[in-house]
Amino acid sequence: MLKASHLRKDFTAVRAVDDVSFEVKRGAIFGLLGRNGAGKTTTIRMVLNILKPDAGTVTFDGLPFSERTRNLVGYVPEERGLYRKSTLLDTILYFARLRGMSGALARSEALRWLDRFSLRPYAQRKVEELSKGNQQKVQFIIAIIHNPQLVVLDEPFSGLDPVNQILLNDIFLELKQQNKAIIFSTHQMDQAERLSDALCLIDRGKVVLNGLLRDVKKQYGKNSIHLEYAGDGTFLRLLNGIKNVMVSENSAELHMEDGANPQTILSQIVGKLEIRKFEVHEPSLHSIFLHAVGEQELMA
Amino acid sequence: MNKTLVVAQWEYVEKVRSKAFLIGLFLTPMIIVAMGVLPGLLADKENETTKVIGIVDATGELAQPLARRMERYTLSNGQPNYLTRFVAVGTTINLPAAIRDADSMVERGELDGYILLDLRGRKDTTVEYRSKTAGDIRLVNRLGEHVRNILSERRLIARGIDPSILDDLRVPIELRTVKIAAGEQEETDFVKTFFSAYIFIMAMFFLIFTSGQLLVRSVLEEKSNRIVEVLVSSCTPKELMFGKVLGLSAMGLTQMAFWALIALAVLGKVGSTAFPPVEQILLMVVFFILGYLFYSAIFIAFGSPVTTEQEAQQLNGYLVLFVILPVALVLPVMQHPDADWVKVLTFIPLLTPTFMALRIPVQMPSTGEILGAIALLIAATYLMMIAAGRIFRVAILATGKRPSLAEIWSWVREG
Repeated sequence: MLKASHLRKDFTAVRAVDDVSFEVKRGAIFGLLGRNGAGKTTTIRMVLNILKPDAGTVTFDGLPFSERTRNLVGYVPEERGLYRKSTLLDTILYFARLRGMSGALARSEALRWLDRFSLRPYAQRKVEELSKGNQQKVQFIIAIIHNPQLVVLDEPFSGLDPVNQILLNDIFLELKQQNKAIIFSTHQMDQAERLSDALCLIDRGKVVLNGLLRDVKKQYGKNSIHLEYAGDGTFLRLLNGIKNVMVSENSAELHMEDGANPQTILSQIVGKLEIRKFEVHEPSLHSIFLHAVGEQELMA
Repeated sequence: MNKTLVVAQWEYVEKVRSKAFLIGLFLTPMIIVAMGVLPGLLADKENETTKVIGIVDATGELAQPLARRMERYTLSNGQPNYLTRFVAVGTTINLPAAIRDADSMVERGELDGYILLDLRGRKDTTVEYRSKTAGDIRLVNRLGEHVRNILSERRLIARGIDPSILDDLRVPIELRTVKIAAGEQEETDFVKTFFSAYIFIMAMFFLIFTSGQLLVRSVLEEKSNRIVEVLVSSCTPKELMFGKVLGLSAMGLTQMAFWALIALAVLGKVGSTAFPPVEQILLMVVFFILGYLFYSAIFIAFGSPVTTEQEAQQLNGYLVLFVILPVALVLPVMQHPDADWVKVLTFIPLLTPTFMALRIPVQMPSTGEILGAIALLIAATYLMMIAAGRIFRVAILATGKRPSLAEIWSWVREG
């Protein structure tokens, strides 16, 4: 549905986005990953035609961005705010009409969504009188009220309270069922791993990884060991056949060297720690991320 | 509905509904009325008390008749307006000592002031009124008038002429100025012309400032809470900009219309004959709209890169200068609507609307000049709007440090 090809954007002295290409399909959740400042927001702005790319194109169903397309996208920007002095209902109606909805339809849809998010009693309240969590709900309503075909959310989970995290999860899945396309950016890999069907990892403006989540993971193979234990795990770094180790309190993520045997690794640990869990699995997105970005760092 | 109109409607309705707007709507006329009426009331109050006037007369002849005439004035409650007190009268008085005495009496509050009449050894006549405050113009005029009359009468008597002839000689005249315009004569009153032009300019700049400031504010708010990103993903920056200008202008006009109604209701009975001819009004409206749009573009161009409230206030300070300049030139232009320098300055877009508004009621400029000025202003407004639009498009997404002038210029050039 959405295709970004060879996007490039320069700011004074910085190339923020460099030759970024990806494709987002209907009925799929697409994660745009990267560290802070990697170029995610700039990429999103170019996708939404807020910024003009210095090179490259963005197409919707094969067509360039047009006035019609504007009404088919919904957007939740990273730093979220609303008009503080305006009422909830007025604010929602304004944005709905800016997306081309008629006044009457906008009103009935606004009330439906307010009901759905239990905000109906606040419809005539000023935004500033609402809790932060409720303001976040209003942001979501604004992004989806006009039944968009593509919804773009920039860091949607940052600063979200737990109740709204679940709500947002539900919205994601609902939109997916309705065969809509969803792009969300994040620097939290566990979120991306749970939600996304496909992903694009950007670092310093360049694409590092791109494709379906399962393909990306397959590419890295079953070369990770998840270990839970009691005892002092500092010696784990010195094991043979291990590329790198992430040790946390009472658990560790071990990356094996190519061709290493999990059994020999296990035998090195037995007796030194009280092992509670030993599992060979695909690497987490988090470790893939660190690995991929680490390679970048070496190349740079 | 067109998205420009959606934006305009939003800006209009949200601002008109705000408390600040409602307060301004009623408070401003009250302040104006208070400023206009209170000093008058206070001044009248001042005139409602009897004043004690001292007389120091070194001629010895003027004090008596002057006192008689001054004491004829009465207040509205029947009390005398002035009481006189002879401090020193006679040809033999010690003048410096008399002045010292009188000064100290004023100092002590026994006298409101005193008049010093000393004609010795002089052909011209100098009369001094000395008081703590020099503000009572009516009293000074009355004193001057009577001293002059008394002296004139004395001179007539000295030549053996009946002083009552003086009353016949004083022919009351009223000076009317008549403007000669092709084939017709119309009476003009400089003050009225002045005020109609002045009201035009004040109205235009009032509108520019209220809506311009609100524009800068609303852009600032949308920038700081990042709503602007949602907006420009929904509509084009151009639609957003024109929507704002439209909505906030409508708000300013609502405010002015409301005040005009109040003014009409209050002043309704006072001479409504001062309306200029229709073609003048139409031309003024053309220059009003063009001037307003031109200045709005300037506000957008300089206002949209602003990133903090403090900067917005500073900016307003600078923009006031733009506005003061034409206002400062009001009088000279109206006095010399024909002068070459006026004609030249008329063709600087910043001054065109004001200068034309000043010149049209006083002396209609040539058709060529008017058409030229309109064409110039349209072109300048168009270019300024394009530049403003380009700045706006980049500036609304820029946060953090305020961009330098060089950067802003590069946005305009790159388009």
